[in-house]
Amino acid sequence: MINTAAEKIKVDPRDAKLSMAHFFVAFAALAIGGLMGLLQTLVRSGKFELPLGIGYYQLLTVHGIMMGLILTTFFIMGFQYAAVSRTAGTHSNAARRTGWIGFWLMTIGTAMAATMVLLNEASVLYTFYAPLKAHWIFYLGLTFVVVGSWVDGAAQIMTYAKWRKNNPGKPSPLLSFMAVINTVLWIVATLGVASTVLFQLLPWSLGWVDTVDVLVSRTLFWYFGHPLVYFWLLPAYMCWYAIIPKIIGGKIFSDSLARMSFIMFLLFSIPVGFHHQLTEPGIDPAWKFIQVILTFMVVIPSLMTAFSLFATFERYGRSKGAKGLFGWFKVLPWNDARFTVPFIGMASFIPAGAGGIVNASNQMDQVVHNTIWVTGHFHLTAATSVVLTFFGISYWLVPHLTGRKLTKSMNKLAIIQGWVWFIGMVFMSGAMHIEGLLGGPRRSAFSTYGGSSQAAEWIPYQIAQAVGGSILFLGIILVLIIFINLAFFAPKGEEEFPVGEAEQSEAAAPMVFENWKLWLGITAVLILFAYTIPFIDIIQNAPPGSKGFKTW
Amino acid sequence: MAKAELKANQKTEVEDSSSLKGTLASVFFVGLFIVVTWVSVYYLFVDRF
Repeated sequence: MINTAAEKIKVDPRDAKLSMAHFFVAFAALAIGGLMGLLQTLVRSGKFELPLGIGYYQLLTVHGIMMGLILTTFFIMGFQYAAVSRTAGTHSNAARRTGWIGFWLMTIGTAMAATMVLLNEASVLYTFYAPLKAHWIFYLGLTFVVVGSWVDGAAQIMTYAKWRKNNPGKPSPLLSFMAVINTVLWIVATLGVASTVLFQLLPWSLGWVDTVDVLVSRTLFWYFGHPLVYFWLLPAYMCWYAIIPKIIGGKIFSDSLARMSFIMFLLFSIPVGFHHQLTEPGIDPAWKFIQVILTFMVVIPSLMTAFSLFATFERYGRSKGAKGLFGWFKVLPWNDARFTVPFIGMASFIPAGAGGIVNASNQMDQVVHNTIWVTGHFHLTAATSVVLTFFGISYWLVPHLTGRKLTKSMNKLAIIQGWVWFIGMVFMSGAMHIEGLLGGPRRSAFSTYGGSSQAAEWIPYQIAQAVGGSILFLGIILVLIIFINLAFFAPKGEEEFPVGEAEQSEAAAPMVFENWKLWLGITAVLILFAYTIPFIDIIQNAPPGSKGFKTW
Repeated sequence: MAKAELKANQKTEVEDSSSLKGTLASVFFVGLFIVVTWVSVYYLFVDRF
C-alpha cells in the first residue's frame, strides 16, 4: 500500500541538513564520552593513575553527560526529525526554523554545561544529585538542553499535526506516530527534572537560598530518570518494528500492535520512578510497592515487542522456504550491517530486560542497589541495545542524508564494529554484573578499602572491565571512522531510507490510537495517582534542608 | 476434471508457511531466561538477608 501522497522517498535536503547537524554533535559526544569511559575502566583496574590531577569523578561526570544525555538526545531528535520528514512529508519552513532554534538552544546548553564540568566546577555525575552542588552555569546549561529539546520536538509535532489535518480520519504513518509518542513522553518526563533544576538547584547554586530538600530533588529527578531510559529505547524500537522488516525484505507483523505497545510505554514508563528509590528512607513503602507494580506493567509491551519481532523474522524466513523450528534464523541477512548491528542490540535486550526485572523487584534491589551490577545493566540496555541500533540506523541514514552510499567495504567494517562491540560488552558488562553480585560498588574510583578481603575479590573483575572497555573503545574508533566516511568521503549515490509495510496493509490501525486527549489524560491520571499522596507526604514530613557539598 | 485434481492433491502435505512455532518457542525461551535470572538472584537475597 502506498502510504500517502505526502510520503517522500527521500528526506528533503533542507531537513537532512538539520538532522546531520544533530548527528555531528551526537558523534562528537560519543568520541569524548567514549575516551572518558576507557579511562574510567583503566583507573578502576588499579593499574593506571590519571595525570595532571584530573579527578575520577570529573571523568565519570563527562562520560555520563556525554553518553547518557547528549549523544542520546541529539541522535534521537535528529533521527526522529528525519523519520517524520520521510513519512509525514517535508517539514514546513516554520517547523524547520523551530527545529533549528531547538538545536541551537541544546547546543549552547551543552557547551555551557561541558565548560563547567571541564573547569572542574560540576563533578556531580550525570544524576547531579543534591546535596552535591555544581556551578549555576552547569544547571542553566542543562536547562537550555531540556528546553531546546522541547522546541526541537515541537517541530516534529507541528509536521505530524499538519499531516493529520490534511488526512482527516486516517491513521498517521507509523514512524511519525512513534516519533510523536516519544517526543510527548520526553516532554512529560522532563517536567520533573526541569522543576528540580528551576525551583531548587538553580536558586540554591546562585546562593538565593541556603539549603535544598534532597528527597524532593531526588524524587523529581527519578520521575524523569526512568522515562528517560524509555526515551532512549523507543527510537530503537522504531527501527526494530518499522524499519528492520523492510531491510530484511519482510513485513511489519502488526501495525496496530506496534502502536499499542508504544502507547503502553507512554502510560507506564512515567509513574514508576520510586523503583530507583527503593532504598530511600523517606518514601512510604506502600507507594513504593504500587510503583513497582506499575513498573512491571512495562513487561507487557516489552514482551509484545519480542513476540512481534520474532514473528516478523519467522514469517520472512518461511517465505524464503526455511523449514523446521528455527530454520528461519539462518536465512536472515547476516551480511547486511543495517540488520546485523541492530540485531546484536535486540539480542542483548534479553539479558538486559531480565536484569531490569531484578533491579525493580524490591527485595532483589537490596542485593544489587548501588553496586556495579546496575552499571552493567544499563551498559546492556542503553550502551548496547540502544546505541548499537543507533549505529545501525546511522549506517544507512547518514549516507541517505548526505547523498552518498554505504559501500561494501564500509558495510563489512560496520559488521565488524558490531561484533567488536558485542565482545567488548560481554567482558565489561559481564564482569560488572558479577562484581555487583559480589558487592562491588558503582560510582567509585579504585580502592582496596583498607586491604579488605572482600574488595580484593573485585579486582580481577575490574581488570576484565578494563579489557572490555579497551575493546569497546576500539569499537568507538570504528564507528567514528565509518561515520566520517559516510558523512564526507563515501561515493555519491542513493541510499534507501527503509520504511516497512504492515503484513495486513488493508487493515488500518484503529483511530483511537491517535486520540491524544484520551492517552494524555490516562498518563496524567496515572502520574497523579502514583505521585500526589507520597509527594505531599515527602514535603510535609521533610527533614531539614541540606547545605551544598563540593566533594571533589 | 476439477474433481480429479482435488483427489490427486489430497495426500500432499502442505507446509504451513504462516506457522509461528519458532516464534512461540523463542518467546518461551525469553520468558524462561527471565524466570531463571530472577529466581537465581532471589536465592542470593534469601541467602544473604
